[in-house]
Amino acid sequence: MNRPGPPAIQQLQLFRSTSTDPYYNLALEQRLMEAVPEDCCTLYLWQNQHTVVIGRSQNAWRECRTALLKEEGGALARRLSGGGAVYHDLGNLNFTFLMPSRHFDLDRQLEVIARACAQAGIQVRRSGRNDLLAGGRKFSGSAFYRAGGKSYHHGTLMVRVDKERLNRYLSPSAAKLEAKGVPSVQARVANLADYAPDLTCQDMDGLLEASFAEVYGLPVRPAPAPEKASVEPLRQRNASWEWVYGPRLPFSFQCERRFPWGEVQLQLNVERGRVSEARVYSDAMDWLLPSRLERALTGVPFVFEALCRSLEGELSDLPQMCQDLCLMLKEQEIG
Amino acid sequence: MNFPAELKYTRHHLWVKMDGNTASVGITDYAQDALGSIVFINLPQEGDATTAGESFGDVESVKTSSELICPVSGTICAVNEDLADMPDDLNLAPYRHWIIKVDQISGTEELLDADAYQALCAQK
Repeated sequence: MNRPGPPAIQQLQLFRSTSTDPYYNLALEQRLMEAVPEDCCTLYLWQNQHTVVIGRSQNAWRECRTALLKEEGGALARRLSGGGAVYHDLGNLNFTFLMPSRHFDLDRQLEVIARACAQAGIQVRRSGRNDLLAGGRKFSGSAFYRAGGKSYHHGTLMVRVDKERLNRYLSPSAAKLEAKGVPSVQARVANLADYAPDLTCQDMDGLLEASFAEVYGLPVRPAPAPEKASVEPLRQRNASWEWVYGPRLPFSFQCERRFPWGEVQLQLNVERGRVSEARVYSDAMDWLLPSRLERALTGVPFVFEALCRSLEGELSDLPQMCQDLCLMLKEQEIG
Repeated sequence: MNFPAELKYTRHHLWVKMDGNTASVGITDYAQDALGSIVFINLPQEGDATTAGESFGDVESVKTSSELICPVSGTICAVNEDLADMPDDLNLAPYRHWIIKVDQISGTEELLDADAYQALCAQK
């Protein structure tokens, strides 16, 4: 005998973010997921300005040239879903399908995307579980998150992304790191505009809304906006250094250099974004140097400026050594 | 699918084994099957406080990332650090590998027996 299935989706909602702040948009996404009604699927469309977004379980420095990104005014954000690092700018449109977990249907959700692309004159195909390809190249990657009986499926749609910047940021920092975590998978990427030269993100936005209604066979209504006051604390968490760089993802860092005054080897264990243990080896004449460096570095946030400041405090009597060591750290791109 | 009778379960798909005033916590066979191959686990630290119904860590599988919702309020007295290196042990033997142990327990989520939990899973 057939058991009655769970109630089907009865209503569709759409929400567009007017912000291009990744921390705010990711906070909004989480609140929209919590708020999605039991019989509803919400489509959320959003764009981030000049941002690298890393996966939930990734090491920031290993996936992204964080120092370079910061120097050029970009933002680094961590999302709740798994998977690899991606680059967003205003040539990229993000989509999120949010629903009670029992309504999660990857095939149907990706059909919405594929149909919108077909309307733009671009034939796409799926690759593996998470990617969409046009002309054999990836233009969209998906990732997934679930909590409290709700799920989301979100992804990128590269319409006209600055590929030069994408390639520049999505490489490891110079630092030698030993880290657990989930590495990114490199892919040959394409912009949809490579295949439909006049296509804009705004066009795709409209095509997605229409395709959403067609695939689910229901009208689309605007979703109520989450209260600003409830979004703000999440935005602050998303923007915090602790969240982006320092969650429970321990790793170790090593670097060594020969200077005119001797050789130095640093080994740092980093937990929750701070140096939990420092080991320093040196053949410098100053036999106290290793223990002084270890003392100076332990407990300090794993950020170039903070490490340097601490070295300057400890080595005020050895300005040349201090300057050399700071330069060595700078070259590790631990922004 | 396996539902050992000596364990308690939560609707967030974790199992609990009480041993005196210490609770061992892991994910259920149903959870590991739904998640698929687990590639990473974010573990808490010993000494962290837990709150029943709130996240104490998360797992990332090939399909999704998912919060681990703590069944009990208390203090984490042990963390299974081996899982950091071999998270797919949770797929291979979900009831053999506890994730955390919690003591100084001051409250719990609703705990289900094996039959009630199995019935819950059957509804999905």
